[in-house]
Order: sequence, then C-alpha cells, then structure tokens
Amino acid sequence: MQNSANAIEVRNLTKEFYIFEKDYQIFRWLFSHKSREQTAFLKVALDDITLDVKKQEMVGVIGKNGAGKSTLMKLVAGITFPTYGSVETEGRIGSLINLSAGFNPDFTGRKNLYYKGMLMGMSNEDIDNILDDIIDFVDLGEYFDLPFRMYSSGMGARLGFALAVFSNPDILIVDEVFSVGDKNFQAKSKAKTMELFNAGKTVLFSSHSDDQIRNFCNRVVYIKDGKIAFNGDVETGLEMYSEDVARQGKKK
Amino acid sequence: MLEALKFVLNEHIENRKLIFKLAIVNMNKQTMRTSLGVLWLYLHDFVYFSVFVMFRILMSGGGEIDGMHSVVFLVTGTIPWFFMQEALNVGAGSIKSYKSILKSIKFPITIIPTVEVTGIFLKRIFTFLFIFGVCGYFGYLHCFNPLLFVYYVFCMLILMYAVLMTVSAFAAVSSDFHQLYTVVLRVLMFTLPIMWGYKHISGHKIIEAVVRIDPMVYILNGFRNAFVVGGAPSLVYSIYFWLCVIVFFTFGSFIQFKLRKYYADLM
Repeated sequence: MQNSANAIEVRNLTKEFYIFEKDYQIFRWLFSHKSREQTAFLKVALDDITLDVKKQEMVGVIGKNGAGKSTLMKLVAGITFPTYGSVETEGRIGSLINLSAGFNPDFTGRKNLYYKGMLMGMSNEDIDNILDDIIDFVDLGEYFDLPFRMYSSGMGARLGFALAVFSNPDILIVDEVFSVGDKNFQAKSKAKTMELFNAGKTVLFSSHSDDQIRNFCNRVVYIKDGKIAFNGDVETGLEMYSEDVARQGKKK
Repeated sequence: MLEALKFVLNEHIENRKLIFKLAIVNMNKQTMRTSLGVLWLYLHDFVYFSVFVMFRILMSGGGEIDGMHSVVFLVTGTIPWFFMQEALNVGAGSIKSYKSILKSIKFPITIIPTVEVTGIFLKRIFTFLFIFGVCGYFGYLHCFNPLLFVYYVFCMLILMYAVLMTVSAFAAVSSDFHQLYTVVLRVLMFTLPIMWGYKHISGHKIIEAVVRIDPMVYILNGFRNAFVVGGAPSLVYSIYFWLCVIVFFTFGSFIQFKLRKYYADLM
C-alpha cells in the first residue's frame, strides 16, 4: 500500500488470457523454454490499468460487455492473478461474483450457508452469529430447510448475496448482480448495500444500469477495450459512455 | 522448486482445520441421499472381493499363494488397492470438480487433492477391519504387527497425496491427460501383485524387478508383511519408495505452484 487512505491499489495491471486450441498445447507452454507468445495465443483483457479506490468510496465500473469489467473485479477479489503489475487490497473482501457458485445442490439452505462459509474461510461460530440476520434477510420461508436443488435461480442468488454481505467485508465487490431476485428483494439488497456504505465500507460496483450507478456511486471508471477511458465524476462518465455507444450504433 | 515446496506445505499447514472439515463433508456427499449411506461402499467392496475369491477358487481351487492362504493373500491386496484405486480415480478430477468455486471464491487450491484423499480414507477406514476379520477366520491374527500396519497405512496416504498433487493439476487443465491417465489406471491393477503372487513370476528376475518399479507394490507387499509374513521392510526398497514420494511431491508442488494462478482462466 502506497497510500494508507486507499482500500484498493491497482498498479500497472495487465491481464493476458492464454488460449490453447488443443489441450496438450498447455504442456508445451508449461515446459518448453520458448516464449509465451510462441506457445500460446494471448488475449489481452486489461492493458496497463492504474486505479486507486479510497476507503469508504463507492466506485462504479462501466463499459461494454467484454471490455474487461469482470476481469478487473476478479483480479481485485483475488480469484485470478495479474500477468503484470499488482493489485493490493486492505481488509476482508466480500465478492458478489457468480452468487450461487459453491453451494451444494444436496444440502439444505442452512447447511449450505455453513458449507460455503467454510469455503470462504469463516468458522461455524461466524455463521452462527449472522444466521438469524440472514434468515430474516433472504426471506426464503420453508425453502431455507429444503435442498438447494429445489431453489429457483433467484433464490440461490439471494442466499449467496446475503452470505457475502453479512459476512461483514471491508471491501465489497459487486459484479452486475443487483438484477437478481424479485423487485422486493432488489429493493432490500440496495438498502443493505447503502447501509454498508454508511457503515464505512468500500464498494467496487459494476452495472449496466445508469440509474443504479447514479444511486450508489460517487465516482465512475469507464473501461474501454481493456483501458481506462475515463475516471472521475459520475455524470460525465455516463455521458461519455452513452456517446460512445451512440457513435458505434451510427457506424453500423 | 524450494519456493514451491514451501508454499504448498505452508498452505497445507495454515488450512489444516479446513482440510479436515472439508474431508468430513465430502465423505458424506455422495451417499447422502441413499438409504444405506456409506454402507453401500462396504457392500461394493465386499461383493467385488467375493468375485475375486470365487474366480481364484474356480481357476485353481483355492490353495496357497506365496506361503499364505489364497483368501488371505487376496484380502491383504484388494482392500488397500480399493482405497488407492478410488483415490487415484476421484482425486484426479478433484481440482476440476472445484471449478465453479475456483472461479468465484478465493480458495487455497493446493489443498484440494489432499482434502479428497483424506475424505476417501476416512470413508474407507472401516474396510481395513475386513482384513482383520478374514485373517482372524483363517487363523493368521497372531502374525499381525500393528507397528508395520500403521507405517504402511501412513506410506499409502503419503504416496496418494504426492501422486495426486501432479495428476489433479494436469487433469484439471488437460482432458487429453485425464483420458490417458484413466486408461493407464485400468491396466495398472493387473500389473500389481493383487490377484497373482510372486511365485507365478519366480525365475523371471527382470519381470519381478519391473513389477517392483511401481511404488504401490511396496505398499501391497507391506500390508502382507504387516498381517502375515512379518519382518522389517527391505532397506533398499524403502529408500526407493521414499525417494519416489519425495520426487512426486516436489514435482507436484512445482506444478501446482506454477498453475495455481491459471486454473480459473484455463478451466
């Protein structure tokens, strides 16, 4: 950490994906002394990104599909690793990425909370402490004690959302998941996120909804083709993005 | 190399509680919805073993193999093999089966094969009682050496951990490897002294030496030593076995260390 006021520091971050046409080519890449370019096809997803997020700041990330938003989120969450550069974070990270992942279809909702909590590095006592809040929040009724395979996709996402949010993270990474659940739950999840913001949490937030960005964020980062095209005021950023979209529409 | 080894060992020590807790959860996962639970597994093993015994009796009318009753010879070979077979089979796909978790949660990846093997071992721990039962029935129980037994069970676990470190990593990123590995595993059983004893290949020094290259043979011999034959393990063969373990473990750590940053991208 170069600046102690920062919660997230991204420095000269480049992320390249390796693409192999056939599986066995991975071994050539692993063991041969040839350079990476010769053994694998590289796809640059993020190109030399530098970004600071201060503590208690809510930063929105916007951009087209495939621009690199999710890649950035996953890198900050520590799920994937940078090719060059560094990502530093301070505090516990709660990632709202692919919410229903990690739940076992045969366990009940209750057991799944303990199970996924364990995978996330929480102890049983940690879950005990927040269990009542979660039950109240997800509002699954009798489904909470039924096997997870009977859940609708929205219910699964609700459980995942509740677990990540109530695990009391310092940094919350939200990747396009506010559209889960019904209207009632969307309102609740927004309220809960606002509550976290007021409690002094840092939030990195990606969304395709201008309204959500306006509601939540005090800064916006616009990613275009793996580079930061704009970093600053929310309205200016959204305007720039919609102009780009309009211009591209005209070209076609 | 050393850095990789240190990293992997560290991750195991830091997450030792998680390994154990996850192993216990995994143990019940498959059989959770069945009426007999883990008893199904013991039933499988029992039936499988009975078929072996029947074949043996039909082919050559029972008798002795390598100086012990043939049923005792079979039980001391098959029971450890059933464990190793399941560990090698299921363990290979272990990292692959954590795909969705690795893509959405930060997780200590190198412990995954260890979790799987530990779970399979805990689940099968009572199958070893079966060896005691059979040995007792045929009156071999006075030969039992508990110290050797514990030593060889330990060897077996360590070997599985070491081998699966590499195999699970390769199988996760390459289906070609997984396919090839499955084929090799099918053949492997017949190269091990499970159904046949050393008397069948006596006089063929080269074949015997080739058979012994597989470190699993050390374990199978060991189980027969512990239950029937007795006597300390051969020094040269022990050194060879532990060298194998060290090589597998170091190489596996190296591969895991190198690949851990790429699993989420490559799967």
